[in-house]
Amino acid sequence: MRVDSCVGCGGRAASRMREAIVRGLAHRLATAACYPVMYRSVEALPLCTACLEKLPLIGDTICPQCGRDGKTGELCPDCQKIPAETLQSNRSLLRYNEWGKDLLGTYKYRGEERLASFYAQLLTIAVHRHYKGIRFDCIQAVPLHQQRLRERGFNQVDLLARRLGDRIGVPVRSLLLRTKMTEKLSKQAGRSARESSMADAFSWAGESLKGNASGWYRVLLLDDIYTTGSTLRSCAHTIREHAGTRGSIYSLTIYR
Amino acid sequence: MREYLLYIKTGETTAMPAQAYVTPCFAVDQSFWREREGCRLHVIGRSPSLALVFSLREAVNARLQERRASSQPWSEEGLSELRQLAVARVREANALYACEAGSAKPLGRTWFTWEDGEGAVRACRSGELWPESAPLADSPTADTSIRELLAGRALLWEELVTLLGKQDVAIEEPDLMAMLQRMVLGERAEWRPGVCLSVAKGWRRRLDLFCERCGSGRRTMELTVCHTCGQGCAYCTACLGMGRSKCCTPYLLVPAPLLSAGEQVEARLAATLDWNGSYSPAQAVAAEQARRFVAAGRPGLSQFLIWAVCGAGKTELLFPSIAEALSAGGRVLIATPRKDVVLELAPRIQRVFPHARVIAVHGSSPEKWEDAQITIATTHQVMRYYQRFPLVVLDEADAFPYHNNPMLYRAVARAVQRGEKLLYLSATPPRYLRKSLVVKTTGMLSPLFARPMLKSATHVLLPGRYHGHALPVPQVVTVQGLHKRLRTGRPITALLELVRRCLESERQLFLFVPRIEDVDRVVYYLASFFPDAAPSVAGVHAADPMREEKVRAFREKRYRLMVTTTILERGVTIPRSDVAVIGAEAPVFDEASLVQIAGRVGRSADDPAGTVLYLQADRAASPRAAVRQIRRMNQLADLLRARGQQA
Repeated sequence: MRVDSCVGCGGRAASRMREAIVRGLAHRLATAACYPVMYRSVEALPLCTACLEKLPLIGDTICPQCGRDGKTGELCPDCQKIPAETLQSNRSLLRYNEWGKDLLGTYKYRGEERLASFYAQLLTIAVHRHYKGIRFDCIQAVPLHQQRLRERGFNQVDLLARRLGDRIGVPVRSLLLRTKMTEKLSKQAGRSARESSMADAFSWAGESLKGNASGWYRVLLLDDIYTTGSTLRSCAHTIREHAGTRGSIYSLTIYR
Repeated sequence: MREYLLYIKTGETTAMPAQAYVTPCFAVDQSFWREREGCRLHVIGRSPSLALVFSLREAVNARLQERRASSQPWSEEGLSELRQLAVARVREANALYACEAGSAKPLGRTWFTWEDGEGAVRACRSGELWPESAPLADSPTADTSIRELLAGRALLWEELVTLLGKQDVAIEEPDLMAMLQRMVLGERAEWRPGVCLSVAKGWRRRLDLFCERCGSGRRTMELTVCHTCGQGCAYCTACLGMGRSKCCTPYLLVPAPLLSAGEQVEARLAATLDWNGSYSPAQAVAAEQARRFVAAGRPGLSQFLIWAVCGAGKTELLFPSIAEALSAGGRVLIATPRKDVVLELAPRIQRVFPHARVIAVHGSSPEKWEDAQITIATTHQVMRYYQRFPLVVLDEADAFPYHNNPMLYRAVARAVQRGEKLLYLSATPPRYLRKSLVVKTTGMLSPLFARPMLKSATHVLLPGRYHGHALPVPQVVTVQGLHKRLRTGRPITALLELVRRCLESERQLFLFVPRIEDVDRVVYYLASFFPDAAPSVAGVHAADPMREEKVRAFREKRYRLMVTTTILERGVTIPRSDVAVIGAEAPVFDEASLVQIAGRVGRSADDPAGTVLYLQADRAASPRAAVRQIRRMNQLADLLRARGQQA
C-alpha cells in the first residue's frame, strides 16, 4: 500500500472522474457553510473513485440517540429500551459492512497503523457533519486494558484520537483506565451479557476535568465501532460519577 | 515487559575466545555454562528492546574480534571499554530514532533505555554454583517433544504460541522462553529480532532496518510508538499479512535435524509410487534427469530447472524425484503461487503416493501447523519453514508473486535443508534462472546462434508436448486504433473472423484483455456484433465475486466466449479452445505471460491444433519474443524427435 494508492482496494487513488464524485459527496455531507472544509476533507481521502462511490455512508434520517440509519428519524427500538441516558448522543459516519470489517481488521488486528490517518480523516468528516456547533473540551479515546495493549502493541482508538485532536484543535486526555479485561465481543452471548460485562469496566484515572468558564464540560468519547453501545455508556457513566452531572458527553465512532 | 541481557563469556585461559551473548533469561545461561570448564560471565547491560540488544551484540563481537586479531589479552579495562561502547551506541540510536520518528513522542524518557551492568561480573569454576542460579526444572520429554514440533520452522513469538496451542502443548511463557534459550545455547536454534536494527555508516548516519522474516529493507518499515516493549520500535509492512514482524518480537529459527531411524523407515514406506501412467520417450528422459539430480549427493549442485513447455505434463515428471527424496528419508515441499493449484494438486499427489501423508497449506488451511511427508504450500506459507526439506519443488517459478520478488525466492531458498535440493519447474523460466542454470551449446558464431542444450547437470528442457504435436504458433496482427475501434464499435476484422469461426465450429474462445475495465467493454463489443451469441459471452476478473461459478460454467461449455484478465493465463485446461489477446502490447503481457496464454491451446491429444491470435495496437517487443520462443521450442522438439528416430 503506497501513499498514492487506494486503501480500500489497493488501486490507483487518482483518476479523472474523481473530482465530480468528491464534489457530490461533499454536497451530500455538508451544509452550505462548511462545504469548502468538507470538500477538502473528502478530497484528501486516499480512496479511488470506485471505493469513494461505494463508501457506505449513513444517511440523513438517523436515530437521534445512537446515530443508526433509520427511516423515520425517531428513536430506534434498541434505544427505546434504554432508560435514562448518560450519553448525550452517538454519531457514526459509516455502516459496518464486509468492506469495513476487512479494513478495520487490517488496522486493528493485523496492526497496519498507517490506516490511522485514513480513519482520522473519516472522523474529521464525521465531526464536521454531526457535531459542527459544539466546542469540546477534550477528546477521550476508549482505553484498552493494559494487557491487551501490550499484546497488540498500540491502542487503535488512541492513535485516531490524537490525529483527530490535531485536526480539529481539541486536546486528547486520558481520564479513564480500563480495569476489567472483557471477553472479545464475538465470544459474548448477547446484548444483556455485554451490558453486564461492561459495567464498571472502567475507572477514573485521577485527572481533573474543568470545562468552560461556567464549569460545564463537554467530552467527546471516541471508539472504532458502536455495536450495542455498552462500552461507550459505561465510559460515560464513569465520567459522570467523577466529574459531576454539570456537563454533556457525546460519542463518535467510525462504524455503526 | 521482557528484558534482554547482554553478557560476555570468557574462558579462564586465553584459549577460549571471549564472545557476547543475548539472553531473555539469564538464569538459564548461568546454569548452562556452569557445567562447562571454568568460564566467566560479565554482564554488559540490559534493555527491553530486543533489536537494540542484538545490534549491540554485533558491535561488541566485532570489537572482540578486533582485539583478538591484534592479540590483546582479555582484561578488566577491555570490559569497561565495551560498556562504554554500548552506552555510546545506545545514545546514537536514540538520537537517530528521534530524528526519524518525527513528531512522535516516546513512551518513556528516551526511545531506548539501557541499564548498564556496572560491577556485575559473575565468575565460576566448574562445579561451583552461582549464588542466584536456581536449579532449573528440566523435563527432557517435554523438551524433546517441543523441539520436534518446532523443527524446521521459522516463527514469530505469536505464531510459536499459536502452533503449540494447536498441538495442545500447555506451557507457561517463562518456561517456554527458558526451554527455547536452552535450545539456542545448544546451537539447535537461533533467536533473532523480527526486525533488525543497526546504524548504517556512510556520509550520513541513519537507522537501517531489516526484516528478518521477509528480507525487506528500510523502505517498507514503519516506526511506531510501541506499547509492547515501550521502546523505539518498527514493524514491517511488506509481510504484515502473515502477522506483525516487529523490533521487539522474538523470531525463532530452528533447522530441522535429519530424520530419526524410525521416521526414515516410515518415509521409505511412503515413497511407494502408485502410478500406472506412462511417459513419452522425451518425458522419460526428463524425469530420469531430475531424479538423478535429487539422488546424487553432488556437492555444490543444489538447483535444477525443469523447463517444460505448456502441456508437457510437468506434474507427472515430478513423481520419480519425489519418490527418490522420500525413499532417502526426507520431507518434500511443493510450493506454488496459487491456492487453487494447491487444492487441486494435493489430492492428485495423494492418489499417487497412497502411503504418504500429504497436506495442503495455505492461509486458511486447518493443516497449517501439522507435519507431513509431502507438504503442498502457497508461496507465503513457505516463509514459515526453515531448513526443513531436503527437496523443495518450486512450481511456476515465473508466475506472479514469485516473478521479480526476491522476498519469496529468499523464503523458498531458506526452506531447503542446508546443502540440499531446490527444483524449479517452469514453462517460461525467467531470464535469471535461464542464465544461471541453462547451459547453451556454443554454435559456430556464438553467442548469436547459441541454442539451449536439451539437458545438463543443472537443467532439462522438454520442448515438445506429451502428445508429440507442435505448439500452436501465434499470429501477431497490428490493428490501427485497436482500442478506439473497441470503444466505438467499429469492426476489427481479424478478431471478428476468429470469433465467427469459433461459434460456427462449436469451439470455445478465451479473450485476454490487459485491464479490468476492458472486460465489460469487450463483452459489449462482441454482443453487438454477434447478438445471437450474447448469452454465451461472459467476462471475469480477479475481484469478480462470481469468478469460480463463471469459470465452472465455461468448463461445462455453458459459455462459449470468455473475456478475462491474466487470471486465467495458467492452470486452466479447456479442450477444443482458441485464444485471442486484445492489446498484446500492454505491459502486463510480458513474454512469459503471452507464451503461457498460447499454451492454453491444443493441450489434448485429440485436438492438438488451434488458433492463437495476438492483436496489438502498436508494434511491441513481447508478442514477437513470445512467437520466437514458441518457434524455437518447436524446432528443438523436431530435433529431439529426429534424434529419437535415429537412435
